[in-house]
Amino acid sequence: MKTNIKRMSGCVATANAVKLANVDVICSYPIRPYTGIMSELARMVADGELDAEFVLGEGEHGQLSVVYGASASGARAFTGSSGVGVTYAMEVYSPISGERLPLQMAIADRTLDPPGDFGSEHTDALCCRDQGWIQGWASSPQEALDLTLMYYRIGEDPRVLLPQYACQDGYFVSHILGDVDIPSQEQVDAFLPPYKNHHVLDTKDPVIIGPQMEPEMGPGTQYQRHLAVEGMYKVFEEVHEEFADVFGRKYDPWLEEYMTDDAESVIFLQGGHAETAKNVAKHLRNLGEKVGVVRLRTFRPFPTKQVRETLSKFKVVGVVDNSVNFGISCGAGVLLTEVRAALYNNDKKVETVGFVAGLGGAMITHDEFYKMFDVLKNVAKTGKNEKQSYWLPFEL
Amino acid sequence: MSIQNLFDEPGLKQITVWGRGVYENKEARDVVVALTEAASKEGKYIQAWENYVDLPDRIFVPVRAYGKISTEEIESRYVYENEAPDIVVLTEETLVKGINILSGIKPGAVLVINSKRSPEYLIKFIKENTENLSKIVTVDANSLSKSVITLSGAEGATDASGIGKGISAALVAAVVKGTEIVKFDNLLELIANKSVAKKAYDQTIVVDADSIQKKVFA
Repeated sequence: MKTNIKRMSGCVATANAVKLANVDVICSYPIRPYTGIMSELARMVADGELDAEFVLGEGEHGQLSVVYGASASGARAFTGSSGVGVTYAMEVYSPISGERLPLQMAIADRTLDPPGDFGSEHTDALCCRDQGWIQGWASSPQEALDLTLMYYRIGEDPRVLLPQYACQDGYFVSHILGDVDIPSQEQVDAFLPPYKNHHVLDTKDPVIIGPQMEPEMGPGTQYQRHLAVEGMYKVFEEVHEEFADVFGRKYDPWLEEYMTDDAESVIFLQGGHAETAKNVAKHLRNLGEKVGVVRLRTFRPFPTKQVRETLSKFKVVGVVDNSVNFGISCGAGVLLTEVRAALYNNDKKVETVGFVAGLGGAMITHDEFYKMFDVLKNVAKTGKNEKQSYWLPFEL
Repeated sequence: MSIQNLFDEPGLKQITVWGRGVYENKEARDVVVALTEAASKEGKYIQAWENYVDLPDRIFVPVRAYGKISTEEIESRYVYENEAPDIVVLTEETLVKGINILSGIKPGAVLVINSKRSPEYLIKFIKENTENLSKIVTVDANSLSKSVITLSGAEGATDASGIGKGISAALVAAVVKGTEIVKFDNLLELIANKSVAKKAYDQTIVVDADSIQKKVFA
């Protein structure tokens, strides 16, 4: 298969995907680190490379409202944000998925306040995890491009019709350059047909979208959205297969496994930090340690069955949370609770240990992953898992 | 399990460029982009990036751009800053004052300064970490070119303005003369202002750091 490899950041890779997806409406508002996506798209529109309506939002709430309306009028719409920008728009997420409008929002993670620095933390995007949106993390610029295309295709499938958060770690993925194979327009057109909205706003045939409802209409409305989310698993698998056929890159829709053959203990995480975890696992394998890495690719819908089946192969799983979830069970993070729930009532007992790491955008270092693997090794050896979660670097 | 030296990267060279916010962001970035892309042509693994925490939109604040060139795949890609530079470049001479520009340098490190002044004069202002310095290199880049000021290429976006149009053309030539980190011909292919690079290469002054330190501080 012909390749067109260029070195670029996750931001530029995403912008290239948005261009190839031939979006109609873009709404921007600046905040680091996702800003690079919008500055790249603004350049593409200004240089005539992309014919799209580029709207400057007055804030993130406005941004989401603009693409909400654009999507309802039949446009393929794109927006994005980071950190407090993501949470400022919180009100608008549920109406968009409630109206079943499959627009896309890129999130390049940034910590909330405090510490409010530019660093990456998954907390911003995870705050919005239960709003009926598709959500998953890219771990490289290439995957950022691919997620953008795949998510539009999944979200716009008539069986789904849901919006998508295509997430990438701020800085680590959004700003560090990687090799990206940019597909041709013909490939993308073959994979992603034009967006056809099922209820287009039309001044000649006016309808009301988002009206006030009576309480008794609530259960049915929410159940429909629940069914839409639950019905996505099959579509995810179909679209990933078709993606591999068209573009030659094969991803498992749910989990990426690295060096997991005969592994006893694995690190389980999502996003760019998986790259460092893999480096450490590789070195430990060279020393004869039976370790591996499992990377979660799709957080919503959560692949309960696949997580249970895959993790059942191991003795101990270390779950790395790159978010704050103060007061959550076991004092760790949401990924640990999801994994534990997936493993509940499982025939085989699998020990899980939570690690909260990389907060505020601190790099999760090779040494830290090494120490995590050491904890897992001890749990595997002794069967004792007394301290169920660790906050790094303070508790390990 | 033993952690001793497990994650060392002996084949890795680090380049740190110090510049002044807004006026020299692009020039600092161009230095690392040109050098690393030339190294890539020579089959090396590379990384070029700007310091994420510096405030590049504030005029004249010190900002940093980094490059990594390695014989092996780079595993420390996510480390925010170059912790042990082999090459330090200053886009502007007053950066010798008040900033620990040589922090963490490896033994044998080379310092390259855009200045018309002599290395003997400039070394007097550098108060820390000079013991690992092997060479001081100067080039009067401002006499050959001027800084290109643009936001194009900021925040990880594509630089549509071209690489090596301004003082970076002179600075990279000086780096190559002082270090031979890449072949000069490979570098020339990448930069827009080739005549400035050639002139700078001829005019660059390279001196042994030990001998001038003995002379200056004797």
